[in-house]
Amino acid sequence: MQNRREFFKTVAGAAAGAYAVGRGIPVLAQRGGGGGAGRGGGAAAAAGPVKRKEISIGGKRVTVIDVHSHCTVDGVAEVVKGTPFERQAGGRALGADRIALIDGEGIDIQVLTINGYWWWEVQDRDLANRIVRAQNEGLAKWVSDHKDRFVALTSVSLQFPDLAAEQLDYGVKQLGLRGATIGGHVNGQSLSDPKFDPFWAKANELGVIVFMHPGGADNIIKEDAWKARGDIGNIIGNPLETTYFLTRLIFDGTFDKFPNLKVCGAHGGGYLPSYFQRTEVACDVRGNAMCANKKHPREYLKTNIMADTMVLTDEGLRHLVAEMGISQVVYGTDNPLNWPVPVEMIVNHSTLTNAQKEQILSGNLMKLLKITSPATA
Amino acid sequence: MRNRRDFVKALAAATAGGFVAQRGLAWAQGAAPKRREVFIGRKRIKVIDSHAHLNIAAVADVVKGTPFERQATTTGDGIIGPARIAWMDRDGVDVALLTQQGAFWYAVTDRGLARDIVKVQNEGTAAVVAKYPDRFFGMASMPLQFPDLAAEALEDGIKRLGFKGGGISAGWAGAKNLSDPEYDVFWSKAQELGAFLFMHPGGTNGNGDPHFAGKGALGNTIGNPLETTIFLSHLIYEGTLDKFPGLKICGAHAGGYLPSYMGRTDAQCRRQDDVCTGKKRPVDDYFKTQLMADCMVFREDGLRHMVAEMGTGQIVYGTDMPFGWPITPDFILNASFLNNAQKEQILGGNLIKLLKLAPNTTA
Repeated sequence: MQNRREFFKTVAGAAAGAYAVGRGIPVLAQRGGGGGAGRGGGAAAAAGPVKRKEISIGGKRVTVIDVHSHCTVDGVAEVVKGTPFERQAGGRALGADRIALIDGEGIDIQVLTINGYWWWEVQDRDLANRIVRAQNEGLAKWVSDHKDRFVALTSVSLQFPDLAAEQLDYGVKQLGLRGATIGGHVNGQSLSDPKFDPFWAKANELGVIVFMHPGGADNIIKEDAWKARGDIGNIIGNPLETTYFLTRLIFDGTFDKFPNLKVCGAHGGGYLPSYFQRTEVACDVRGNAMCANKKHPREYLKTNIMADTMVLTDEGLRHLVAEMGISQVVYGTDNPLNWPVPVEMIVNHSTLTNAQKEQILSGNLMKLLKITSPATA
Repeated sequence: MRNRRDFVKALAAATAGGFVAQRGLAWAQGAAPKRREVFIGRKRIKVIDSHAHLNIAAVADVVKGTPFERQATTTGDGIIGPARIAWMDRDGVDVALLTQQGAFWYAVTDRGLARDIVKVQNEGTAAVVAKYPDRFFGMASMPLQFPDLAAEALEDGIKRLGFKGGGISAGWAGAKNLSDPEYDVFWSKAQELGAFLFMHPGGTNGNGDPHFAGKGALGNTIGNPLETTIFLSHLIYEGTLDKFPGLKICGAHAGGYLPSYMGRTDAQCRRQDDVCTGKKRPVDDYFKTQLMADCMVFREDGLRHMVAEMGTGQIVYGTDMPFGWPITPDFILNASFLNNAQKEQILGGNLIKLLKLAPNTTA
């Protein structure tokens, strides 16, 4: 799993490093601290307090919830000290710069997740559990210190599916977390494998969101395939991993087994929603498709599958909504990475109605995340 | 090359098997259907299928006694005959560009054998076109593992056999990419000849075969658009399309994921420009000029999105015959957001112009 680690390291490095700051993207000029400052105060904090941007649509103040953000928590470092994983723990600690960032971007509530999933390689069950415990307690602490601005999703030790189910239950019921975050595969295994049913059953029972974030499709792509220009390990690898993950959940019947699931794919759900037609006809056309799904693939796309808005263009978002339905699309930024995803992309969208814009910005997530005190209250 | 072989074998089996027959052969064995003529308003439109496959049975003789002898396809719907014509007649396809099904010969390491295989394929294709001159154009098959031979085969196909261009695949390349400078000799020849290149994937990009096993025919459902996406991304990012600005390359299956998911490709260059030093233009510019795609997205929403991203001038009709994908000219004719001129462009107009064919006639 060298690839996943390298990917995460690269991402972490990028977040802390120089390139993310000051790229020539006009929208970034509005962003607190250039969006790339991952820790340690950042430019925005150094420059003094950022005025909190408040978003209105048609004169009405609307709450903005960001489903897609990354962070790390400090307590994990101690747990992995002296283990092969000690270099994996940090990279994106939360601090004042994060609040400045979301203030500057007009985000009222950010959904925090810890990604990279390096801890799925941990074979010692006790260590795996302690890492996740540290992550979830760290998240819960930050959220409780900043109640109005953040919610968080549990990390889980998905290499031990029964433990993952327990962690999810504990995280939601005891720590006040609102769902779970996962990667697209567990050490190469598809999450549609029945061994992961205990986790899905728990998510299904609790009715919580599962946010899936990819790591470059190292389960699919052979070594060296991404050694090329264009950062295609990210640009192709990420949507590919998400596409594969969601496609397996459809065709292997996971959504039929657990019909209450709400699985949100990062980056517009990968290629799947935007290029759905081939998936849609596969069971009818391909003689070797052996589809286990009971319903037409599009029904899962319109109910069980959700996606963030990170398709990055007005036309891409129009298409995403046309394919999935407005109820399945939610705002996401990939903070603190500097993708060009300002809230204005939704607010000023050329075809969405005001009501649809509000659904994307927060309406769809309020109930699912059990957010009871909107910014507009 | 196991993946590709399995893939091709699976396709061959499918061709001979039941599910294609429902669409392809069953009705064709009865009385020949009346040929459908497609009109837009009162204007008879020539419908040109950019994406049609064939097999040439005579390849079996060439590969006999070699490790490739099981790769030749000698039966099934890929062999062009009355059944194919009947299918085209029923759907209203006037003309099809024929590309060779599969690409098993890319694995051949012997230059002489590779040259012999494509020679037989291309001459066989020319014979099919000669038999049905109003219904088909040939596209050269080429041994892309030998860029110089590929250039030769393309030139021979166009100059001697009257082809319009060539069919290429990319999945076989593995560690090799068609954007590598060793392929300049091939791209340069294609540009010089003004060849129309149709790129068709092989199924899994040679990668991660176990992960494409299982339900959903993922080697096809995901593997095909993935291979095309990686192939086109390399040509863009490595600067191949800038080096050869006259290239016209059409990606099968709506060009893979790329045209339908363009935002991420472009945004990454804007946020991290050191990864995009090889190319000169914004990504979508290539899709409005050098890159084309067939319309195999099956649903109006998908087509609307493609048109918004690429423009109707870059999209051409494609069916994937003899595989039974759910597409007929009605998909374009019924598209509520297209005007008549745009429908005509997609169904045939773009290729008439590009390939310098006889124009549509008005009834």
